Amino acid sequence: MSAFIKGVLVTGTDAPVGELLVRALLADPDIGHVLAIGQRRPEEALPIAHSARLTYLQVDLVRERQVHDLLFGPARDLGVEVVVHTAMSRSAMVEGGGVHALNVEATRALLQLCERHPTIRRFVLKSYAEVYAVQHDLPVLIAEDHPLNLHPNAPQYVRDRVEADLHACVRMGLSPLQIVVLRCAESLAPGTGSQLFDYLESPVCLRPAGFDPMINVASLRDIVRALQASVRASEQGVYNVPGFDTLPLSLAIHKWGRLGVALPSSWLTPLYRWRRKLRGHDFRYGMNRRRFHFSGVLDGRRARQVLGYAPNVPVDWPIA
Amino acid sequence: MPPTPSIASILASAMLPDAEKKRLERLLYADAGHGYDAFGLHPDYVAFGAVLTAWLYDKYFRVKSKGHENIPASGAAVLASNHSGAVPIDGMMIWADVLRHTEPPRVARAVADHFVPMIPLIGTLFARGGMVGGSRGNARTLLESGELLMIFPEGVPGVAKHFRDRYKLQDWRVGHVELAIRHGAPVVPVGIVGAEEQMPQIGRIPIKVAGLPFIPITLTPFPMPVRYHIRYGKPIPVHLDYRPEQADDPSAVREAAARVKAAVQALLEEGLAERTGIFA
Repeated sequence: MSAFIKGVLVTGTDAPVGELLVRALLADPDIGHVLAIGQRRPEEALPIAHSARLTYLQVDLVRERQVHDLLFGPARDLGVEVVVHTAMSRSAMVEGGGVHALNVEATRALLQLCERHPTIRRFVLKSYAEVYAVQHDLPVLIAEDHPLNLHPNAPQYVRDRVEADLHACVRMGLSPLQIVVLRCAESLAPGTGSQLFDYLESPVCLRPAGFDPMINVASLRDIVRALQASVRASEQGVYNVPGFDTLPLSLAIHKWGRLGVALPSSWLTPLYRWRRKLRGHDFRYGMNRRRFHFSGVLDGRRARQVLGYAPNVPVDWPIA
Repeated sequence: MPPTPSIASILASAMLPDAEKKRLERLLYADAGHGYDAFGLHPDYVAFGAVLTAWLYDKYFRVKSKGHENIPASGAAVLASNHSGAVPIDGMMIWADVLRHTEPPRVARAVADHFVPMIPLIGTLFARGGMVGGSRGNARTLLESGELLMIFPEGVPGVAKHFRDRYKLQDWRVGHVELAIRHGAPVVPVGIVGAEEQMPQIGRIPIKVAGLPFIPITLTPFPMPVRYHIRYGKPIPVHLDYRPEQADDPSAVREAAARVKAAVQALLEEGLAERTGIFA
């Protein structure tokens, strides 16, 4: 593979990960052009200084015609070689057909169109650690072959992520594209859809009494580094992207400057339901119940060996 | 909830002799970044655990042990022991014994049954001391990291055995040797004499409470102060006697497990022959 990549298309640039990735790619002189896709109007999007190497386009990924015209128009003209798909609904509270269309159908359509594209040869999907099941009888260290969360009562937030992830995985080896799926640890940053970030926004964080699981969280910079590494790598496959910080939930609460209060687990679902109704927060305790009881830490050995990615940027904890 | 690491550290500092404190500072573990390993072990809790178990070890069960030279000072290894006593204090005593008699100190990572992490408080406290849930993935990761595993191949049926079955090894599972063969680790047989009489069990109520699979019916409401005798046998080099791919050969694995079982049974018989009484 030559070091120079003529063009990279990034979706989801309205969100922090996409935006930071665009910045990082622009800083790389071996990337010819960055085609940034978002839902905002160009004048409201991407607070990045104008660059001749950057094109921003407002595209609704749910509309297959728009996606088709994007790929076989500007993307082909710019010679885009790599697509990094990071667009996914971030709220756990918004559900329905429209959300599914963005999370799953848009991923499927984008992948299908890329497969018959004349210049695109690599497709990177930013997936999520939330696709994994966390249970008392499963390993703490989560490798890529760990069972996925296929629980019938899983909310759409999880189901969609699993479905999009699996769709990309199923095409691996069958598709002419090199497909990479990065299952990224949660990043404690606003606008990322992190349930944990929303949980920690509350001055008092309730957690199940008697349990203090180990969690792993990532900084945005590490996630972006992993995406960058996957743009450049020549291998395909599924890779976990752990963060630098592995710590107990109680310590995360403390380091975020919050007061942790342990209560019986059965109280937490209704209490957080009320919080959601009264304050409009996104965090759903029921969705996170298992990982608030049992440890689950991403094993990043594969990403280190193949992509050369190792987390090295800690979360910016308010309390050292 | 378990105390914070700083409180655990203060308690350990206040209650452990200086020499032991210094010794435990040399504990080797894989810090995942905030003082904990990925499974939740924290050295301050290990020191705190040494304090918590000291009275039980020294005064209550008056543990006598021999064969420490058979515990590898470094590298992956599996301790395979008999299991008994209605309440699994035997695991705690091996944990304390290994910590005291290895240099630099090693933590015997107990591989507990699946239900243990579900027990509030206990699951977390034990994890801080090095316990992991009994999944193959957890054991594999620890062996690959060169850790010392503590496995009870009898599992819960060992703890739940009737008093009349004391010192009769129950159905001996083979997972420990399979792991050892695959990951190049020797198996150290361990025989514990004493625990089988600590809380004579005469029945059980099949009700699941707080993650526990049943409630034992015992002759005494709490463990009696029997004397524990722990013996470590010579390491069985299953990793040298079998090729890694033989971990998938059921007959090879059964054969290796039978060797370990026989070694543990022999240690039990030696211990029973040597002791002069349950409390002596």
